[in-house]
Amino acid sequence: MTFRKVALSNLRRNPVRSVLTGLSLAVSAATLSVALSLDRGYSAAVTDDLVNRTGVHLYITKEGCPIEAASVIAQGGLSPLYVDEEVVERIAELPQVGAVLPFKLFAVTTDDGMRTDIFMGITEAIREIKPDWRYRSGGWFASDSSVILGAEMALIERLEIGERMYSEHFDREFTVSGVLERNYSQDDGMFFLPLQTAQALVGRQGKLSAVAIKLNDIAAMDESRNLMRAMLPADHFVIGSKELSDGILQFFGSTRAIMLVMVVVAVVISIFGVVNTMLMTVLERRREIAYLKCVGAGKLDLLRLISLETLAIAVAGSAAGALAGAALSPLSGNLLRGFLVAYIPSGAIARPDAGIALSAFAACTLIGLACSIYPALRAARIVPMEVLRNE
Amino acid sequence: MNNGHAIRLEHVSKYYRRGSETVHAVEDVSLAVEPGEYVAVVGHSGSGKTTLLNLIGCLDRPSSGRIMVDGRRVEEAREAELTRFRRAAIGFVFQQFFLIPTLSVLENVNLPLLFTRRSDDARARELLDMVEMGHRLKHLPGQLSGGEMQRVAIARALINSPPILLADEPTGNLDSLNAERIMLLFERLNQGGATIVVVTHNVDIVKRCGRKVQIEDGRISS
Repeated sequence: MTFRKVALSNLRRNPVRSVLTGLSLAVSAATLSVALSLDRGYSAAVTDDLVNRTGVHLYITKEGCPIEAASVIAQGGLSPLYVDEEVVERIAELPQVGAVLPFKLFAVTTDDGMRTDIFMGITEAIREIKPDWRYRSGGWFASDSSVILGAEMALIERLEIGERMYSEHFDREFTVSGVLERNYSQDDGMFFLPLQTAQALVGRQGKLSAVAIKLNDIAAMDESRNLMRAMLPADHFVIGSKELSDGILQFFGSTRAIMLVMVVVAVVISIFGVVNTMLMTVLERRREIAYLKCVGAGKLDLLRLISLETLAIAVAGSAAGALAGAALSPLSGNLLRGFLVAYIPSGAIARPDAGIALSAFAACTLIGLACSIYPALRAARIVPMEVLRNE
Repeated sequence: MNNGHAIRLEHVSKYYRRGSETVHAVEDVSLAVEPGEYVAVVGHSGSGKTTLLNLIGCLDRPSSGRIMVDGRRVEEAREAELTRFRRAAIGFVFQQFFLIPTLSVLENVNLPLLFTRRSDDARARELLDMVEMGHRLKHLPGQLSGGEMQRVAIARALINSPPILLADEPTGNLDSLNAERIMLLFERLNQGGATIVVVTHNVDIVKRCGRKVQIEDGRISS
């Protein structure tokens, strides 16, 4: 005879109630697991997109606020301020600079607001800047009216090399010169145009959205940035790709706050559920507990017994919830993608792993165990004589 | 106080509040029970006999007076000491059997040993054989009759080999046949040296006890 055996046998008295109590903790653990997966996943996806996979170490922009600039660049919005092309030559002369990509980025939304196409005017420097710039078919621009399609856009437009694409907005035809391999980044959803063509389309010849820079030595990033700042006009910013990603992650803060509220609500509901259930089990067994005290059960014995009952529910519920959360996280990531107002990264937004599942399991198990304290104290405080006399 | 008694109460009173009313459950009771005695406590409902049993069983503290059980002064002992003392010295049998419905007969009998961190299946089997329940070790309480459950409850009360057995209406829920079996069991236990105090309305039990203590309005009348 062990406490564990007695505790588990007590759970069998009302299996439906035990399962439902475990489920309430499972929901908490799953919510926590999903929230952690999304939080970690989004940060990692943004960093992957903007830091690890771009090959860009610095951006030169002419925006008032670096974070706003980050958003404009990332979302492809039309900014009222531009960097002059003459900057490119001056920057390219610096020995610390490996490659310079001047680019013009703009977005075109259809009249009904149902679709936004992102265009990027580029130069051949993109091949030096982007390590995974590879063609599935075709190649570089053949003329001013050529377009290179991201893998997703080629799929959507159902266009192959040599076929023509008509833009109603610009009333102009483009010929597909290349289709990129899918690289699960923003590139998959873009139309790439020759830089001069892109500038002309929006009437901004000689003007750039920003300049992307690849350094020869990333360890000298701060030094290079300071040098560039010194040689550029005061209204130009030199932003590190890490700052860019950090700026975007700040926008994600509101989404993170909503997720946190959801987790807190789920946990609070679970706490009420578990405390209520365990209290009911104690109150229903008052006379039995009174008898146990008659035959020598001390307060600590009863605390242990009730805590073990709760622990069994908490372990089962939290484990099931943590696993369910890991399984549901990718689905939640796809769902969240549709609601994000900040930057939408190309990679998986939810990234569940064993550490997250274990954290959710441990947190919810501890919460469940803490829920047993009050019912266990109520059990320990039962006065046998009062119960046996009055009930 | 005389240390030779199994149970001794001296001028014990117990009052408690019920709403705005003060109930005098036990009033200036003095009682001595010798080791090996078989005592029936009788009285009308509300006369104070269950309160008296609770005081003897260290489940309640007297408002005044002194109580000695199995050679130990108990009225001022701390709760934890009383818990340990009850565990070792007193077996309880109640009208309701208080068996754990999800544990087998054998596990129910072993249950009090849980609180001494040991298990003694051999002793439990021996006791269940004694109460003629050795053939139903694996059954759950829900599969037993009332008489069988009470016999299991008696075996459980004896698992710690307590020198004193306290029973509150042990045949109250049983038919006459099963009540007779329980009475025979108590007699055998008493013949084996156990001190037994039974609170009962059952006239047959009273007749077969060595001594009757009549309680009326919280006082011993005979």
